[in-house]
Amino acid sequence: MLRRMTTTAFGILCFLSFIVPVPLLAWLDKPKGGR
Amino acid sequence: MYAGHFAAGLALKAKEPNTPTWALLLGVGVLDLLFGILLVAGIERATITPGIAPGFSLDFIDWSHSLLMSLAWAALYAAFFVRKRGLAVAAVCGFAVFSHFLLDFLMHPGDLALWPYSNAHIGLGIWRLFPTGWWVFELAFIVLCSAYYLARAKTLKTFGGRGFLAVGVVVLLHVTNSPWLSPAH
Repeated sequence: MLRRMTTTAFGILCFLSFIVPVPLLAWLDKPKGGR
Repeated sequence: MYAGHFAAGLALKAKEPNTPTWALLLGVGVLDLLFGILLVAGIERATITPGIAPGFSLDFIDWSHSLLMSLAWAALYAAFFVRKRGLAVAAVCGFAVFSHFLLDFLMHPGDLALWPYSNAHIGLGIWRLFPTGWWVFELAFIVLCSAYYLARAKTLKTFGGRGFLAVGVVVLLHVTNSPWLSPAH
Protein backbone atom coordinates (compact mmCIF):
# COMPACT_ATOMS: atom_id res chain seq x y z
CA MET A 1 0.00 0.00 0.00
CA LEU A 2 2.77 2.41 1.01
CA ARG A 3 4.80 1.40 -2.05
CA ARG A 4 1.81 2.07 -4.30
CA MET A 5 1.23 5.50 -2.71
CA THR A 6 4.92 6.37 -3.10
CA THR A 7 4.86 5.33 -6.75
CA THR A 8 1.71 7.37 -7.38
CA ALA A 9 3.26 10.42 -5.73
CA PHE A 10 6.40 9.95 -7.86
CA GLY A 11 4.29 9.78 -11.02
CA ILE A 12 2.36 12.94 -10.13
CA LEU A 13 5.58 14.75 -9.19
CA CYS A 14 7.18 13.71 -12.47
CA PHE A 15 4.17 14.92 -14.47
CA LEU A 16 3.97 18.26 -12.68
CA SER A 17 7.71 18.88 -12.87
CA PHE A 18 7.56 18.74 -16.66
CA ILE A 19 4.33 20.73 -17.11
CA VAL A 20 4.54 23.55 -14.54
CA PRO A 21 7.70 25.30 -15.86
CA VAL A 22 6.45 25.37 -19.49
CA PRO A 23 4.19 28.47 -19.34
CA LEU A 24 6.71 30.38 -17.23
CA LEU A 25 9.65 29.64 -19.55
CA ALA A 26 7.52 30.37 -22.63
CA TRP A 27 6.53 33.73 -21.13
CA LEU A 28 10.12 34.63 -20.27
CA ASP A 29 11.11 33.77 -23.85
CA LYS A 30 8.70 36.30 -25.39
CA PRO A 31 10.48 39.19 -27.09
CA LYS A 32 10.47 42.43 -25.12
CA GLY A 33 7.48 44.50 -26.14
CA GLY A 34 5.89 41.44 -27.74
CA ARG A 35 2.40 40.29 -26.83
CA MET B 1 17.96 14.09 -16.81
CA TYR B 2 15.51 16.80 -15.80
CA ALA B 3 16.41 20.49 -16.31
CA GLY B 4 18.71 19.51 -19.18
CA HIS B 5 15.63 18.67 -21.23
CA PHE B 6 14.35 22.24 -20.82
CA ALA B 7 17.80 23.55 -21.76
CA ALA B 8 17.59 21.43 -24.92
CA GLY B 9 14.18 23.01 -25.61
CA LEU B 10 15.64 26.50 -25.35
CA ALA B 11 18.54 25.53 -27.64
CA LEU B 12 16.06 24.18 -30.19
CA LYS B 13 14.16 27.47 -29.98
CA ALA B 14 17.39 29.31 -30.72
CA LYS B 15 18.11 27.04 -33.68
CA GLU B 16 14.58 27.27 -35.13
CA PRO B 17 13.06 30.55 -33.84
CA ASN B 18 9.85 30.14 -35.86
CA THR B 19 8.84 27.19 -33.72
CA PRO B 20 6.50 28.06 -30.81
CA THR B 21 8.45 28.01 -27.56
CA TRP B 22 5.68 26.27 -25.62
CA ALA B 23 5.59 23.48 -28.23
CA LEU B 24 9.31 22.82 -27.81
CA LEU B 25 9.29 23.02 -24.01
CA LEU B 26 6.26 20.75 -23.84
CA GLY B 27 7.77 18.46 -26.47
CA VAL B 28 11.02 17.83 -24.61
CA GLY B 29 8.97 16.60 -21.64
CA VAL B 30 6.38 14.50 -23.45
CA LEU B 31 8.03 11.16 -22.61
CA ASP B 32 8.12 11.97 -18.89
CA LEU B 33 4.57 13.38 -18.96
CA LEU B 34 3.46 10.04 -20.41
CA PHE B 35 5.62 8.21 -17.85
CA GLY B 36 3.91 10.08 -15.00
CA ILE B 37 0.45 9.17 -16.31
CA LEU B 38 1.36 5.53 -17.04
CA LEU B 39 3.04 5.16 -13.63
CA VAL B 40 -0.06 6.39 -11.80
CA ALA B 41 -2.19 4.11 -14.01
CA GLY B 42 -0.02 1.14 -13.00
CA ILE B 43 1.04 0.42 -16.59
CA GLU B 44 4.68 1.39 -16.01
CA ARG B 45 6.69 0.62 -12.87
CA ALA B 46 9.33 2.38 -10.79
CA THR B 47 10.83 1.89 -7.34
CA ILE B 48 12.18 4.58 -5.04
CA THR B 49 15.76 3.70 -4.06
CA PRO B 50 17.02 6.22 -1.47
CA GLY B 51 20.80 6.38 -1.36
CA ILE B 52 21.28 4.73 -4.75
CA ALA B 53 21.72 7.26 -7.56
CA PRO B 54 19.58 8.70 -9.00
CA GLY B 55 17.17 7.84 -6.15
CA PHE B 56 14.80 5.63 -8.12
CA SER B 57 14.84 2.56 -10.31
CA LEU B 58 12.80 2.61 -13.50
CA ASP B 59 11.65 -1.00 -13.65
CA PHE B 60 9.37 -0.89 -16.69
CA ILE B 61 9.13 2.24 -18.85
CA ASP B 62 8.81 0.62 -22.27
CA TRP B 63 5.61 2.40 -23.35
CA SER B 64 6.85 5.91 -22.61
CA HIS B 65 10.62 5.60 -23.09
CA SER B 66 11.58 2.74 -25.43
CA LEU B 67 13.37 3.68 -28.64
CA LEU B 68 10.50 2.62 -30.87
CA MET B 69 7.82 4.33 -28.77
CA SER B 70 9.93 7.49 -28.47
CA LEU B 71 9.99 7.67 -32.26
CA ALA B 72 6.25 6.98 -32.37
CA TRP B 73 5.45 9.67 -29.78
CA ALA B 74 7.71 12.10 -31.68
CA ALA B 75 5.91 11.39 -34.95
CA LEU B 76 2.50 11.74 -33.29
CA TYR B 77 3.49 15.02 -31.64
CA ALA B 78 4.86 16.34 -34.92
CA ALA B 79 1.61 15.38 -36.68
CA PHE B 80 -0.27 17.84 -34.45
CA PHE B 81 1.70 20.73 -35.94
CA VAL B 82 1.85 19.81 -39.64
CA ARG B 83 -1.41 21.37 -40.78
CA LYS B 84 -1.24 24.66 -38.84
CA ARG B 85 2.53 25.26 -38.70
CA GLY B 86 3.97 23.37 -41.66
CA LEU B 87 6.37 20.48 -42.04
CA ALA B 88 9.53 22.28 -40.89
CA VAL B 89 8.07 23.39 -37.54
CA ALA B 90 6.43 19.99 -37.08
CA ALA B 91 9.76 18.25 -37.65
CA VAL B 92 11.47 20.40 -35.01
CA CYS B 93 8.64 19.68 -32.55
CA GLY B 94 9.00 15.97 -33.26
CA PHE B 95 12.75 16.16 -32.73
CA ALA B 96 12.14 17.93 -29.40
CA VAL B 97 10.24 14.84 -28.26
CA PHE B 98 12.93 12.45 -29.50
CA SER B 99 15.70 14.56 -27.95
CA HIS B 100 14.37 13.34 -24.61
CA PHE B 101 15.31 9.77 -25.54
CA LEU B 102 18.76 10.81 -26.79
CA LEU B 103 19.56 12.66 -23.56
CA ASP B 104 18.11 9.91 -21.37
CA PHE B 105 20.29 7.40 -23.26
CA LEU B 106 23.34 9.13 -21.81
CA MET B 107 22.05 9.11 -18.24
CA HIS B 108 19.93 5.97 -17.80
CA PRO B 109 21.55 2.75 -16.58
CA GLY B 110 20.38 0.39 -19.31
CA ASP B 111 16.64 0.64 -18.67
CA LEU B 112 15.60 1.98 -22.09
CA ALA B 113 14.11 -0.86 -24.12
CA LEU B 114 14.42 -0.92 -27.88
CA TRP B 115 10.67 -1.55 -28.12
CA PRO B 116 7.92 -2.50 -25.61
CA TYR B 117 8.78 -5.84 -23.94
CA SER B 118 12.09 -6.08 -25.81
CA ASN B 119 14.79 -7.95 -23.89
CA ALA B 120 17.40 -5.52 -25.19
CA HIS B 121 17.86 -2.42 -23.04
CA ILE B 122 20.25 0.44 -23.60
CA GLY B 123 21.65 3.44 -21.73
CA LEU B 124 25.19 4.61 -20.99
CA GLY B 125 24.39 4.97 -17.29
CA ILE B 126 26.07 8.23 -16.30
CA TRP B 127 23.63 8.33 -13.35
CA ARG B 128 25.10 5.16 -11.85
CA LEU B 129 28.70 5.57 -13.03
CA PHE B 130 28.98 9.01 -11.45
CA PRO B 131 26.53 9.17 -8.49
CA THR B 132 27.12 12.91 -8.04
CA GLY B 133 29.19 13.72 -11.14
CA TRP B 134 26.11 13.28 -13.38
CA TRP B 135 24.81 16.54 -11.95
CA VAL B 136 27.94 18.40 -13.10
CA PHE B 137 27.70 16.74 -16.52
CA GLU B 138 24.08 17.89 -16.87
CA LEU B 139 25.03 21.38 -15.63
CA ALA B 140 27.68 21.59 -18.35
CA PHE B 141 25.06 20.63 -20.92
CA ILE B 142 22.70 23.31 -19.56
CA VAL B 143 25.47 25.93 -19.72
CA LEU B 144 26.26 25.07 -23.35
CA CYS B 145 22.59 25.15 -24.41
CA SER B 146 21.99 28.38 -22.48
CA ALA B 147 25.01 30.11 -24.00
CA TYR B 148 23.79 29.24 -27.49
CA TYR B 149 20.24 30.36 -26.64
CA LEU B 150 21.34 33.70 -25.17
CA ALA B 151 23.75 34.41 -28.02
CA ARG B 152 21.10 33.77 -30.66
CA ALA B 153 18.49 35.74 -28.70
CA LYS B 154 20.83 38.72 -28.55
CA THR B 155 21.43 38.56 -32.30
CA LEU B 156 17.91 37.87 -33.55
CA LYS B 157 15.86 39.71 -30.88
CA THR B 158 12.74 37.74 -31.89
CA PHE B 159 12.77 35.63 -28.71
CA GLY B 160 14.45 35.52 -25.33
CA GLY B 161 13.13 38.89 -24.11
CA ARG B 162 13.86 37.77 -20.57
CA GLY B 163 16.33 35.11 -21.67
CA PHE B 164 18.61 35.43 -18.66
CA LEU B 165 15.64 34.83 -16.36
CA ALA B 166 14.58 31.82 -18.44
CA VAL B 167 18.08 30.37 -18.10
CA GLY B 168 18.00 31.21 -14.40
CA VAL B 169 14.79 29.21 -13.98
CA VAL B 170 16.34 26.21 -15.74
CA VAL B 171 19.44 26.40 -13.53
CA LEU B 172 17.20 26.71 -10.44
CA LEU B 173 15.31 23.58 -11.51
CA HIS B 174 18.66 21.82 -11.88
CA VAL B 175 19.72 22.92 -8.40
CA THR B 176 16.50 21.54 -6.87
CA ASN B 177 17.29 18.23 -8.60
CA SER B 178 20.83 18.02 -7.23
CA PRO B 179 22.03 14.94 -5.33
CA TRP B 180 22.42 17.15 -2.27
CA LEU B 181 18.99 18.80 -2.23
CA SER B 182 16.46 16.54 -3.95
CA PRO B 183 14.42 14.34 -1.57
CA ALA B 184 14.53 11.61 -4.24
CA HIS B 185 18.26 11.20 -3.66
